[in-house]
Amino acid sequence: MFENKTTTSCENNLLTVESLSVTIRNSRKKLIHNLNFSIPQGEIFGLVGESGSGKSLTATVILGMLSKSLEVTSGSVTLGQSEITSLSERELRNIRGRDIAYLSQNYQSFFTPFIKVGQQFIEIIRCHTDMSRKEAKKVAIHWLNKVHLPAERVFNSFPDELSGGQLQRASIASAIMFRPKLIIADEPTTALDVLTGERILDLLSELKEELNCSILLISHDLKHIIKRTQTVGVMYGGQIVEIGKTSAVVANPIHPYTNLLLQSRLRLNKHIQHELPTMLGEPGLIAEEGCPFTKRCPSAMESCSNKVPMNSLGKHHSAACHLVNAEREERYVTR
Amino acid sequence: MLHVNSISKTYHSKPALSDISLYVHAGESIGIIGESGSGKSTLGKIILGLEKPDQGDVHFRGSNLHTLKGQALKAFRRHLQIVFQDPAGSLNPKLPVWKSVVEPLENYPDVIPSFLKEVRHDRKKMAEVLFQKVGLSPELLERYPHQLSGGQKQRIAVARGISLEPDLLVCDEPTSSLDVSVQAQVLNLLKKLQRDLNLSFLFISHDIAAVQFMCERIVVLKDGILVDAFLTNELFSASRHPYTKMLVEMSMEQDR
Ligand SMILES: Nc1ncnc2c1ncn2[C@@H]1O[C@H](COP(=O)(O)OP(=O)(O)OP(=O)(O)O)[C@@H](O)[C@H]1O
Ligand code: SF4
Ligand SMILES: [Mg+2]
Repeated sequence: MFENKTTTSCENNLLTVESLSVTIRNSRKKLIHNLNFSIPQGEIFGLVGESGSGKSLTATVILGMLSKSLEVTSGSVTLGQSEITSLSERELRNIRGRDIAYLSQNYQSFFTPFIKVGQQFIEIIRCHTDMSRKEAKKVAIHWLNKVHLPAERVFNSFPDELSGGQLQRASIASAIMFRPKLIIADEPTTALDVLTGERILDLLSELKEELNCSILLISHDLKHIIKRTQTVGVMYGGQIVEIGKTSAVVANPIHPYTNLLLQSRLRLNKHIQHELPTMLGEPGLIAEEGCPFTKRCPSAMESCSNKVPMNSLGKHHSAACHLVNAEREERYVTR
Repeated sequence: MLHVNSISKTYHSKPALSDISLYVHAGESIGIIGESGSGKSTLGKIILGLEKPDQGDVHFRGSNLHTLKGQALKAFRRHLQIVFQDPAGSLNPKLPVWKSVVEPLENYPDVIPSFLKEVRHDRKKMAEVLFQKVGLSPELLERYPHQLSGGQKQRIAVARGISLEPDLLVCDEPTSSLDVSVQAQVLNLLKKLQRDLNLSFLFISHDIAAVQFMCERIVVLKDGILVDAFLTNELFSASRHPYTKMLVEMSMEQDR
């Protein structure tokens, strides 16, 4: 499911990211480092990590929308049969919006202000098909209904007449109209309150079943990921530092960063707490040599300035940390 | 200290708040929770005197906030400060951050906060003391907002918020735009300041876990109506409003 390099895409993987590295063109600074993961058909894969860890950048590469100042220096991204990293701009345009749908955190800016939502739907549809306006309206209404919005009313509304949750639903409707194979949802609920956000995630799961597509769910908060995903990758400093079946990673976090992310989740408590557990330092404190987490890690030791390979802990779980060998003995063998 | 008496507010003939009453005693911290559109931020704005209610009134230290004018209003404003959700939007991008932090002190030259007594004559020194209060390194004094992380900017906004030693600090979703690890740091800071300075807090949030950590009492808003009000240690009590129970359940669910 997320082997290291050794195996290439297996049969039922929809998306495979292999040894992907991205650098800034003129400074050679690495922003993404040797990324490996894949998403099977019909699964939700979670990518979690704090601000600047490279989550959105990864999404950008998958969409083939990398900024000109950045460069893929190694590796590949494969969607179905097409290797995205070697397609032309024209071929990419065909894939984007059709095979891959992108939902961003900024759903507020998804629609242009002062133009009715319905008008914007019609334009998007007519840009990808040769439907008449009347047919296009029918399609738009169909999908607005699918995301459980009062379709006619929303169709005739201006964007600023809708609430945050409604706007996010409308942007989902417009993103999925062409039945994408992959939905990239980049922080789809971060700007929403808990209830509205949960309903959006319910909707995405429901649509995933109906369209039989896969979802890449990106968030800085593990609590949005845990319940929804089958597999999760934890990113720090442009690298995946731990990856595995979500249940295994949550029950048995190996990497100290994963552990701290889990602990610093804000949770309701039976007893009133006087101080919340925190993580040392600030996001963005990334070591250039060896393990990227060294500068904030409570268990850092001398060997951490050496490169850390991804070590597997059984079939469905691996982590890049020098503690792994010691932990493996304790957690998996003696059991 | 603060009394909100059955206020109502309507926008475009849609009621945003209906008949809301609440109070805050000195040194107390009150949480207001609700979904987006529940009226939380409107309530915050009315309490700060930024909006007028259609009905009802707000009394702060015995005076009706919405009938005060000119100097009297300015004198009151000093005691009411706010920290917003978006740390970037609340700071002037063209000023080094230390200047933003001491700006309120310049608007109120006669105010001498207890923790700034010795340095009140020196703007830079005041900024240093305030930086220290919010756990920021003095190295950051000369930086501009875009050169700071979200958590650092939010600490700056807090430093600015406490600079006049207000009686009441209104925090409108102060951490929801921050990384999880940074959220915890900022909440710990706010709680410590509340204790050290004996501030009153009005903590507006959709995150029930953050409110539980921060506040002694909780008020729940739904569609502009106050549906539940209780002491934080009664959060799990069987007598909670069904809506509150649902919020609690949602929050617990997410952790599984
Ligand atoms: N066009 C660019 N040129 C230079 N650096 C860039 C560019 N785009 C992104 N970066 C850098 O790459 C790193 C990863 O950024 P990315 O946007 O992927 O983070 P993220 O994990 O999505 O964070 P957030 O949670 O804040 O959205 C950051 O250090 C960012 O500053
Ligand atoms: S490799 Fe070392 S520094 Fe990195 S997470 Fe493991 S123990 Fe910490
Ligand atoms: Mg991002």
